[in-house]
Amino acid sequence: MTTVPLTTSPVETDWAQLARRARWTNRARTSALYAFLIAVSIPIILPYFWLVTIAFSARTGIAETQVLWRSLLVLVPAIIACWVVAMVARNLRRMLAGFAVVAAITAVAFITLVGPSLHLGNFIFLVERDFASVVRSRVGEVRGATQFPSVWRAFWNSIVLAGSQTIIVVTVASLAGYYLSRFQFPGRAPMLRSLLVLHAFPVMTLIVPMFLMLYYIGLLDTLFGVILVLVAFELPFAIFIMKGFFDAVPWDIEMSALTDGASRRQAFVKVVLPQVTNGIIAVSVFSFIRGWEEYIFVFTFLIRNTNWTMSLYMFFVRDDVMGVDFGVVSAVGVFYLVPSLVLYAAAQRYLMQMSIGGVKG
Amino acid sequence: MASIEFRNVIKRFGDVEVIPGLNLTIEHGEFVALLGPSGCGKSTSLFMLAGIYLPSGGELLFDGHLVNEVEARDRNVGIVFQSYALYPHMNVHDNILFPLRFKKTPREEALVRVKAAAELVHVGELLDRRPSELSGGQQQRVALARALVKEPQILLLDEPLSNLDATLRLTMRTEIKSLQKKLGVTTILVTHDQIEATTMADRVICMRGGGIEQVGTPDDLYLRPASLFIAGFIGSPPVNLIRGTAENGAVHVGATVFPSEGIRGDVTIGLRPEHLKFAGDGLRGRIAEIEPMGREILYVVDTDVGHVRVLEHGSAAAHSAGEAVHIDFSPTEALLFRTSNEKLIAGANVCPPRRAS
Repeated sequence: MTTVPLTTSPVETDWAQLARRARWTNRARTSALYAFLIAVSIPIILPYFWLVTIAFSARTGIAETQVLWRSLLVLVPAIIACWVVAMVARNLRRMLAGFAVVAAITAVAFITLVGPSLHLGNFIFLVERDFASVVRSRVGEVRGATQFPSVWRAFWNSIVLAGSQTIIVVTVASLAGYYLSRFQFPGRAPMLRSLLVLHAFPVMTLIVPMFLMLYYIGLLDTLFGVILVLVAFELPFAIFIMKGFFDAVPWDIEMSALTDGASRRQAFVKVVLPQVTNGIIAVSVFSFIRGWEEYIFVFTFLIRNTNWTMSLYMFFVRDDVMGVDFGVVSAVGVFYLVPSLVLYAAAQRYLMQMSIGGVKG
Repeated sequence: MASIEFRNVIKRFGDVEVIPGLNLTIEHGEFVALLGPSGCGKSTSLFMLAGIYLPSGGELLFDGHLVNEVEARDRNVGIVFQSYALYPHMNVHDNILFPLRFKKTPREEALVRVKAAAELVHVGELLDRRPSELSGGQQQRVALARALVKEPQILLLDEPLSNLDATLRLTMRTEIKSLQKKLGVTTILVTHDQIEATTMADRVICMRGGGIEQVGTPDDLYLRPASLFIAGFIGSPPVNLIRGTAENGAVHVGATVFPSEGIRGDVTIGLRPEHLKFAGDGLRGRIAEIEPMGREILYVVDTDVGHVRVLEHGSAAAHSAGEAVHIDFSPTEALLFRTSNEKLIAGANVCPPRRAS
């Protein structure tokens, strides 16, 4: 072997200066990034923050916006402080400590600046069925208000709608996803393609034929009719996601179950299904939320006010008392939001894994 | 315990014929290895035995009874998969118990048997663990316990050692072999590793392209390989193959002459590296590479007939690179194959080339 002599550059390199320059570039880049993050996070957080603030502070007939600006005075520095803490903290422990300090200061500031304006009066709709008349009479309007059902009735209807829709979607999607993942049959590939195409249609386009269909079947103005329609629209995507999860389950354990004495059905229930619990939870949560927020179909297919769901209730509250009392509207909004938030918070851990299982589809 | 017979068994996947017609008999309590490269149909044969694949034609018999259409769950076959296929959501105890849940074994007895099976493969202390908390070797043992707990008449092992590290592989090899002897269960091992096959099994079935190339004891396959394919597949480092033409009582490879009586036509000489030694006379060459392998040293020798690998015992190299050597071998250990059909020419002798005297 011959060795080639390495040529050394005659120019002396100023390493210290290069390091300084790299440090400055880094700092500038990080600062720009955090400035951008602060700028975009404020408009994302603000609507939710104001929704809650208004729900707890607005008073009938008074268009008072001062409290909103006071609350903004608390929120914006808090967000900036959070990002700064995230930027300068050297480890997780310090970051959490920093957040705690920021939260404490924010809480104190909030109580002093916004606290005196807070009250629960806007949640009158929870106890008073005819709250619209009560609210209107406060400003002297006595014209006949909409006949509202109890909010709990609407709440229950929404639970029934979202719940039963979820149960049907999860059951059918699991079985169909498993079959599509494991079995060969003529037309399998076109079927998979059409599943996605089905999801591409805007639902509004089918409103009129759907209305007629429900009318002739006799399911118009029933929760059950809306549930069936929702299921039909939810299923294709749910099946596709479940197929992705089943694809990720190795064949081996299924074969193993078969030789261990299980029937095909027992192998599915006892061995395969437990492997896709994350998928089932994810599909359940999304189906439930979809049913919970459903508006167009319930608005079109439900007529009697005893059939109202929360979205319809929200709509009519807005329609009826918006000009008079946006505090009540916001309070209904907060009430409407709570179940979704609770569900997301509880299932967050599983939802994170959905993208992992889902992309394999 | 059962005997197994394949009678002209065919397996097709769509239009592809994976196994064109397999004939094979396996006796009670025998330990047999199905050996072959990937895609040779050995796993397919195994899955047909387990009942996961149904044969497309022919007859599959257990103890003389036709089982072609018997469901997997009724065959009483234990199987250990390459991936172990433990149920991730159950702990070790429930994994081993799983087969018994379908057999209506009384609960008391089932628990005793789970304990016994776990003790048999030394995982008695791991019963509360999840599969994800076990090492590869422990998972392997649990899979074995799960396969054995139902007292199967046939035990199938699908590449059971391929996911283990080298040391563990050695231990498990010995353990599985002694376990099989102790229980006397008919066992079929599928592997692409010739060492695994020859060390564990009583009989090795070498497969290629869906058919059987040779059936025999490990010694048969090593000393009397029926074809070039098997000679190349069995033995490590691989056999040296030298192509030449036999005429006038010798095999001619270029200018080199290997004396050989009674053969004519194109032949291939097979020389195992471990049967070659350096001597004063023989095939001339120059050492190109030296590869120390611990207990042995592999020399790659540049000769007139191409590179020849020579394996010598000893840990220190007795020769150095560039040295001129002569390679000698015993005529009885050299293999001679007909090049056209790649089959062994039985009883043929080849001698090393000699210096013209």
